[in-house]
Amino acid sequence: MQSWRRRKSLWLALSASWLLLVLLGGFSLLRLALPPRPQPGASQGWPRWLDAELLQSFSQPGELPEDAVSPPQAPHGGSCNWEACFDTSKCRGDGLKVFVYPAVGPISETHRRILASIEGSRFYTFSPAGACLLLLLSLDAQTGECSSMPLQWNRGRNHLVLRLRPAPCPRTFQLGQAMVAEASPTVDSFRPGFDVALPFLPEAHPLRGGAPGQLRQHSPQPGVALLALEEERGGWRTADTGSSACPWDGRCEQDPGPGQTQRQETLPNATFCLISGHRPEAASRFLQALQAGCIPVLLSPRWELPFSEVIDWTKAAIVADERLPLQVLAALQEMSPARVLALRQQTQFLWDAYFSSVEKVIHTTLEVIQDRIFGTSAHPSLLWNSPPGALLALSTFSTSPQDFPFYYLQQGSRPEGRFSALIWVGPPGQPPLKLIQAVAGSQHCAQILVLWSNERPLPSRWPETAVPLTVIDGHRKVSDRFYPYSTIRTDAILSLDARSSLSTSEVDFAFLVWQSFPERMVGFLTSSHFWDEAHGGWGYTAERTNEFSMVLTTAAFYHRYYHTLFTHSLPKALRTVADEAPTCVDVLMNFIVAAVTKLPPIKVPYGKQRQEAAPLAPGVPGPRPKPPAPAPDCINQIAAAFGHMPLLSSRLRLDPVLFKDPVSVQRKKYRSLEKP
Amino acid sequence: MFTLPQKDFRAPTTCLGPACMQDLGSSHGEDLEGECSRKLDQKLPELRGVGDPAMISSDTSYLSSRGRMIKWFWDSAEEGYRTYHMDEYDEDKNPSGIINLGTSENKLCFDLLSWRLSQSDMQRVEPSLLQYADWRGHLFLREEVAKFLSFYCKSPVPLRPENECEEEAVCVIMCASVKYNIRGPALIPRMKTKHRIYYITLFSIVLLGLIATGMFQFWPHSIESSNDWNVEKRSIRDVPVVRLPADSPIPERGDLSCRMHTCFDVYRCGFNPKNKIKVYIYALKKYVDDFGVSVSNAISREYNELLMAISDSDYYTDDINRACLFVPSIDVLNQNTLRIKETAQALAQLSRWDRGTNHLLFNMLPGGPPDYNTALDVPRDRALLAGGGFSTWTYRQGYDVSIPVYSPLSAEVDLPEKGPGPRQYFLLSSQVGLHPEYREDLEALQVKHGESVLVLDKCTNLSEGVLSVRKRCHKHQVFDYPQVLQEATFCVVLRGARLGQAVLSDVLQAGCVPVVIADSYILPFSEVLDWKRASVVVPEEKMSDVYSILQSIPQRQIEEMQRQARWFWEAYFQSIKAIALATLQIINDRIYPYAAISYEEWNDPPAVKWGSVSNPLFLPLIPPQSQGFTAIVLTYDRVESLFRVITEVSKVPSLSKLLVVWNNQNKNPPEDSLWPKIRVPLKVVRTAENKLSNRFFPYDEIETEAVLAIDDDIIMLTSDELQFGYEVWREFPDRLVGYPGRLHLWDHEMNKWKYESEWTNEVSMVLTGAAFYHKYFNYLYTYKMPGDIKNWVDAHMNCEDIAMNFLVANVTGKAVIKVTPRKKFKCPECTAIDGLSLDQTHMVERSECINKFASVFGTMPLKVVEHRADPVLYKDDFPEKLKSFPNIGSL
Repeated sequence: MQSWRRRKSLWLALSASWLLLVLLGGFSLLRLALPPRPQPGASQGWPRWLDAELLQSFSQPGELPEDAVSPPQAPHGGSCNWEACFDTSKCRGDGLKVFVYPAVGPISETHRRILASIEGSRFYTFSPAGACLLLLLSLDAQTGECSSMPLQWNRGRNHLVLRLRPAPCPRTFQLGQAMVAEASPTVDSFRPGFDVALPFLPEAHPLRGGAPGQLRQHSPQPGVALLALEEERGGWRTADTGSSACPWDGRCEQDPGPGQTQRQETLPNATFCLISGHRPEAASRFLQALQAGCIPVLLSPRWELPFSEVIDWTKAAIVADERLPLQVLAALQEMSPARVLALRQQTQFLWDAYFSSVEKVIHTTLEVIQDRIFGTSAHPSLLWNSPPGALLALSTFSTSPQDFPFYYLQQGSRPEGRFSALIWVGPPGQPPLKLIQAVAGSQHCAQILVLWSNERPLPSRWPETAVPLTVIDGHRKVSDRFYPYSTIRTDAILSLDARSSLSTSEVDFAFLVWQSFPERMVGFLTSSHFWDEAHGGWGYTAERTNEFSMVLTTAAFYHRYYHTLFTHSLPKALRTVADEAPTCVDVLMNFIVAAVTKLPPIKVPYGKQRQEAAPLAPGVPGPRPKPPAPAPDCINQIAAAFGHMPLLSSRLRLDPVLFKDPVSVQRKKYRSLEKP
Repeated sequence: MFTLPQKDFRAPTTCLGPACMQDLGSSHGEDLEGECSRKLDQKLPELRGVGDPAMISSDTSYLSSRGRMIKWFWDSAEEGYRTYHMDEYDEDKNPSGIINLGTSENKLCFDLLSWRLSQSDMQRVEPSLLQYADWRGHLFLREEVAKFLSFYCKSPVPLRPENECEEEAVCVIMCASVKYNIRGPALIPRMKTKHRIYYITLFSIVLLGLIATGMFQFWPHSIESSNDWNVEKRSIRDVPVVRLPADSPIPERGDLSCRMHTCFDVYRCGFNPKNKIKVYIYALKKYVDDFGVSVSNAISREYNELLMAISDSDYYTDDINRACLFVPSIDVLNQNTLRIKETAQALAQLSRWDRGTNHLLFNMLPGGPPDYNTALDVPRDRALLAGGGFSTWTYRQGYDVSIPVYSPLSAEVDLPEKGPGPRQYFLLSSQVGLHPEYREDLEALQVKHGESVLVLDKCTNLSEGVLSVRKRCHKHQVFDYPQVLQEATFCVVLRGARLGQAVLSDVLQAGCVPVVIADSYILPFSEVLDWKRASVVVPEEKMSDVYSILQSIPQRQIEEMQRQARWFWEAYFQSIKAIALATLQIINDRIYPYAAISYEEWNDPPAVKWGSVSNPLFLPLIPPQSQGFTAIVLTYDRVESLFRVITEVSKVPSLSKLLVVWNNQNKNPPEDSLWPKIRVPLKVVRTAENKLSNRFFPYDEIETEAVLAIDDDIIMLTSDELQFGYEVWREFPDRLVGYPGRLHLWDHEMNKWKYESEWTNEVSMVLTGAAFYHKYFNYLYTYKMPGDIKNWVDAHMNCEDIAMNFLVANVTGKAVIKVTPRKKFKCPECTAIDGLSLDQTHMVERSECINKFASVFGTMPLKVVEHRADPVLYKDDFPEKLKSFPNIGSL
């Protein structure tokens, strides 16, 4: 009886503990049971072999080096790569020199102007013998005249056949070892690292300058359609992706859905533009989307993206697999605003840097080939893929991004804290003693260079300065002022005219401002451009107005890179213009900086009493406010050469924080700036 | 987990209890070995699953009644106890009753087991062993126990490990019972009071229940966290053998035109929210031909490591049906060891082969004598090839992956990174077995340039026992390899018989810039790595010029390349795992291009990644003035002041919309009719909570890029000032453009940051009581603010403006722009109210904010500048009426 009772209590305790177990553990067990569990005993992952230690290496020591040696392989017939088919020995020295075969017979206007543009470029050479690259333009389908085999053909070695439209001519001769630069080549025929893929340019593509990107703001407008679809018959339509997960190849055309609007010729306002990857004609749509800032979404493109060798297209476009439409759609919908923002901006940058004109496309092609020749001293990828782009960031200046004024932030570096003063002494040629003292007094001044551009002999005595003073004997040309002298060792240049007058604190403050904006010009005196309705051209004024677009280089800070750009990238004709009308030099320098930065220059305060008395502009006899405006032609000539008007206006001036505030002068760091 | 205390180590040991008890339960007092063997002999063939009802009837004849009972109930501790109580041992009354654990033979068996298990070879317990691998326990452990028991108990038939411990959970319960009862039952015979037994038993049962419960509580977690430990331990010799008939199919050679969109079945990859492909690895098999001769060597150490790396990665799946990429476990790393045709046959019979679609083969040494093809010769149809020696002729761009040839030296030699600075040799060649022509060229270079060029060869006069792979010689001078590579600035990597050379990896490891002289060689991972930054490629015909080519490279660039070379090695070359993961990442990026890793992530060394700033608004773009700005007024209940602000702001020409953020949940905003009538749309947003961060929420109503944040008491700003502020913002759209400026200073006494609002010559912040900025920063503030700053600001109701200043400066790396001379927002009549003490606590709080934010950001992102923006003709001697913004200048 007692044992029965005991057993009963035992059972009770047992069931109680089981109950506890079920209560506490049951849930966890349930949780455990819910996910599909692997079969008991099934292998999980790659096994850890008990005897893994005994395994042998895939290559025995000594085996690798002992390989029998075979003679170097000869290039396969018919196919070419860079090493096998291009002779770089001709390109030694001054880099890429290009000879263009003159056209035979009547040629189209386009052809003529492309020829002219190459002839005006820094790559051009007259003699085919001295050329490293021989360029054969193959453009004119309309004229019916297809180029025939040129004289120096030499099996196509070191030749580049440039086709802006896909294969306008039947192949009249064997290409041999020639490189082909053509629009949207198919992936199968394209030889990476040898051929160059060009964009598919529309007939009316501007030759020079070109329209800027159409993006007016960084981020997409709220409510803008997500997708625009490229249509086979040309034109676009927007698609509301919310209403249907409709694929884009017309498979669901029977159900157009409420969100799909009618077809239109112009590109609708959308964030993404879907472009078919099959038809090479779609490549022209690609460019259209790029210009509009509509992020191109390419579905398994069968054609090579333009300049894919150097341009990182993942930063501006999305190449997706056409077989996974829903996934692509979902990915687009979920894309973070940060990524969309970055992609959109990159489309604009790429459009503007490489595609907006025929000239840019051709120059980019030559630059790509030059980079191959240069090897290690080619443009780093960063220079190609961030503003202002490789055409404006010359690799002959440096291959290190820190040396350029554009990449300090990306490189995590800062402009150095010193500048070189470059004083130009034109006629009448008095050594600017006061100016030298004032500039040398700046704690940031590293050296002073005097550019003696004057008929008079060099003075033998120069003032004693704390910083080294170097005198350079110039060539009596105004453009000498912007020559990249190797004696300039700092990033910043303070360009001065002998008759300028500046105080030390003005120089100090302006230099601090420049350090915040190292890519811009920081100047004291300004002028502005305007559209002259009466003459139908650009005008120029140095009147004091509420806005300005240029600073005078007679007293301005800028990065030393602009000297290189001025001397080596400008067409010779433009520099001649500047030399002939000296005041044009300012305009030209401002043009080039504005074209690179796409930003206006910066003005800092300048003592106004001197502003009235001693104008900075060189060679100006009369008093202000009547400075002789440069010949009106000058600005128009330059604008024509640039193909557009790069100058931008600004309405602000950067002053010291306490400038002219009614507080004690003792508190102010730049008090002398305010002296009456 | 590796430093487990002894207690944990015991777990598997005590686990053996039930096994012993079961097998040896009925024997006591007699000759252990004899009894053992007899019982085992009888039982073993029949041992089967637990609780199998059939066992009662079928097995009974072999077992004693006690044995039967135990067998029947052995699977549960409680049942065991019941049995025990039903037939309790008593010295006098029931000498044949059940004795629980602790009887001598059990103890002996136990001792032997623990002795065995504490032997040195058992000391290293891998963490995986301490996990509950599956419900049957570790096979390896069971194997050991079975072996042990078979030996000690002289079992004629080896025990099958499968039967050792049938259910681990039960094992553990039994362990527990062993642990806690070991004293109890031992006392049983001596205890006369049954109550005591009863209570002890009861207590132990409850304890047991609790322990079991606790175990179940933690069990699932340990399973989840130990997925990768859940692997089987097997010997490589035990893998199943597959016979390949001589006439089994061979894959086609495959065509060179394969691209991802033609040959790769992307449907298998399906939709994957994580944008990660799933990789399946075939189980290892041993392939033999008709004659039983094995087709290939066993798997190599490197390929085993490679598969292990994949299996441990996020890419791995063990479900063949969900896999997108298949990796055969047939090792083709080195073609020399392969029988080409049979290997191809082995590939073709893989269960999902399907012409090799979505199959990935890894090969580092392709081709064989005499012509050394640059790609694997095994016919593989559409399979992707990750190959170590591709040339432009064999590489299928965008389909194959070019990988490095792994250098086994990487694992052996630890070369610490060498800093920049001059190195002894300018150019060095360390390869052996070079083509005589190349060697002649190199030696000519050496003659021409003397000391700065060093051409090494293999050593011929080494004494026995010295590893010849680790030595190189020049004449009679012996050098350590690869250490000697660190002495050179440039190291030649010439083609051998094959294009891909393991020396490339050694050279990169040494931080020597590789000079690759191998025409048409596709450099490893060239699809994503920018080799221009880390190497010099010289055409073979230019070999004689190599010295002058290298000399033209500036010193700074060389140092950059050395750093880059070392970084490439660390990230992508140093181990088989790194190679495998980079390969999978490349394929993954092709399939999910919209989630691909960027150029910078692949190529920038960590130091650059940390130091650089990538401005989200990097395009220099001046927004058109016509777009205007949206003013966002944050208000609580100061309606009168709010209306004044609205009226004032609406006078600004460029205003395009006004948004009032009504932060008061207890009060409704005034009726529509009461609001001031203005020319632009006015919208009121009601918030759910009174939070400062509501001001920076990216409302859908904001249609312009420019946002003016303005407090409901800022009535002193003139229309000219606001309009000018907007124009300044247009020129600096990536910055904060505000009116009163503030400064942060380092307090050297307190050793922390201090907030400063005095009349300073410098500015590092602007107040957002009225500030223009890009609306993208609203998005960043709301969703991307680092750390807990956003909540902290909301909790403290202060410093939202400092947080915004930090955020913008950190993301753009640029300073703020202070506009116009305005110093304070306070109205003149308010100064009386603001006491000095109030001001001081305010300053202390603000300083705290700066210190807090600086610690969250991990740096001080604010930039100090000495300038402010004024209109061009500000305070110039110029007719006021001709100035664009005359109404600017009050403080």
